[in-house]
Order: sequence, then C-alpha cells, then structure tokens
Amino acid sequence: MDEFASRHYPVQENMRFQKRSWIVERLGWLVLLAIAVVGLSGVFGNGPASWAHVSDRTFAVSYERFQRATRTSSFVFDLGPGGAGERTLHLSAPFQRDFEFTSIQPPPSRSKTDRDGIDLTFAAPPGAAGRVVIWAHARSYGLSRIIASLDGGPAAAFWVFAYP
Amino acid sequence: MDSVIKATVVFFVLWAIIRVSGRRTLGEMTAFDFVLFMIIGGSTQRAITGQDYSLMNALLLVATFVTLDVALSILELKSPFFRRVLNAMPMILVENGYPMTERMQRARITPDNILASARRLHGLERIDQIKFAILEATGEITIVPAVQAGTVEPMPARAPNA
Repeated sequence: MDEFASRHYPVQENMRFQKRSWIVERLGWLVLLAIAVVGLSGVFGNGPASWAHVSDRTFAVSYERFQRATRTSSFVFDLGPGGAGERTLHLSAPFQRDFEFTSIQPPPSRSKTDRDGIDLTFAAPPGAAGRVVIWAHARSYGLSRIIASLDGGPAAAFWVFAYP
Repeated sequence: MDSVIKATVVFFVLWAIIRVSGRRTLGEMTAFDFVLFMIIGGSTQRAITGQDYSLMNALLLVATFVTLDVALSILELKSPFFRRVLNAMPMILVENGYPMTERMQRARITPDNILASARRLHGLERIDQIKFAILEATGEITIVPAVQAGTVEPMPARAPNA
C-alpha cells in the first residue's frame, strides 16, 4: 500500500501538496527555533551580543546596542577622575530625539538643551571619579548614532538599534 | 498609520506560526495548548496596542483584522490553491482498518488520538473497526466506522425526497 499516493474517496487528497506542506512546516519549526536561539544570544536585545562597552580617555559607557522600542534599558557612564566640583556629560541630538529618559541617577544639578543635544551637569567632588546611570527607552524603531563627551573633552561615538 | 502596519504584520506572522505549528494544534487542543494560545494573544495584544489605548486605535486594529480576514476568505473562495494553502487538505489516516503510520507520524497523530476519536464518536474499540479515519483541514479527526454485523448499526437509508 503506497501511503503517499493520493486517494480520491471518501475525500479528495493531494499528497504532493501535503508533502510540500510538511516540508514548509518543518522549515517553519527551524525558523522558530532559530529565532529563540538567536534571541538567547541577545541579538534581539538584552543578551551577550547586545551588551556593549565604549570607552574614551575620560569616560566609558556600557549600554545595550540592540534595544526594543518602549523597553527601558540603562546607559551606564563611568566618569574618570577630573572636574572642578561638577561634571558635564554631553549627549548628541539623536539621543534626545530617539530616547525618552525614564530616570537619571544621580539627578543632574542642571541641564541644558540646544540643537547639538543635551548637557547634563552633575555635582561631583573635585577630581573624583563617578558614575551616571541613565534609564531610557527608544521612542521608535531604527538606528541611532549617538555621540557623547565629558566636560567638553574628546567625543565617543556609539550606535543603538531599536527593534519595533 | 503604524497601527494598521503593526496589525497587518501581526496578522500574517501569527497566521504563519499557527499554520506551521500544524493541524494538531487546532483540532486536538489540550488544556496547555489553550493556555499557550491565551499567552500568545496577551503578548501580541500589548505589542500591537503599545501605550495607545484610544478608541480610534482599537477601531483601526479591529478594522484591519476583519478586513484581512474577509480578504483571505474571498481569496480562499476564488482560488483552490489559496484554499489549500490557507486551510490545508483532508488526509486519510486509517484506510479499511489499516493505520497509515507514515502519514500519522508526519502529521504527529498517534493511534491513541484516532482511537480516542473513534470511541468518542462511535463507541469503537479497535482500529480494525474503522473504515476511514480522516484528519480534516480543521485538525479534527473524523471516523467512518466499518460496518460489521453486531458492532455498528448501518445508517437507515434516506427517502429520495427527504
């Protein structure tokens, strides 16, 4: 008995189509498995492939390069020693445009925005190192190229991709 | 605009996922499958609505989903190919009492699934009492019993003008 021959009674079969459907079904399972495995790696956010670290002479930033729109994540700025009682962190305009601040720790003593971006000024003991954590979420999806600098010093560039 | 795009993407992605998960998921749904479907619904609902709980957004989403559903049903009606792609085709699993094991394996149906349907629908006890077991496009298993003296009553003949 050939199981894969189409029968015409009591129902009309099309085993050729059925066999193709099974192949597509199995390919679909592989795609779903691949999505889960790739998801574990962090390519879709929050995982080893997403964790990124950019450092400059004066500061370093740890962040997630792959984010998801509306999901809050942190940008951790480690500020090197320096400054005379206050430190000013500059973030370029795309950061302000593409991200919504949820919280800034510690809260800045003052902030200033202009066409170039946002300046966040923090009170700090003279010459001390410090850490600023910005919690923010991407407003929409797409690529953001961000430039950050500390106390008007050299700039560090990094990018963030937000999934819809 | 993005509500309509999101709804369209979610509609087709969900359709593809449900379709590749196979008919077993639909016809032989267990309590856990039901819970899983609830979770899938909850997850996608939040992805579509986001933080927009406005009446207009709900209207846009419902209109998009119903339009796509109607469009697919029209496509299904007009084209036999799309009917096959969208709904799958019925397939015989037991023929004259012989289980077609290769087909059953590929469709992820066990003899126990068939026997459960046979018991539930016709009070049959063994596979050899089944003339045809058919995996329908909906994922359900229908049973045509073998007519054997003393086990299954034949259906009464219908009057020609009935």
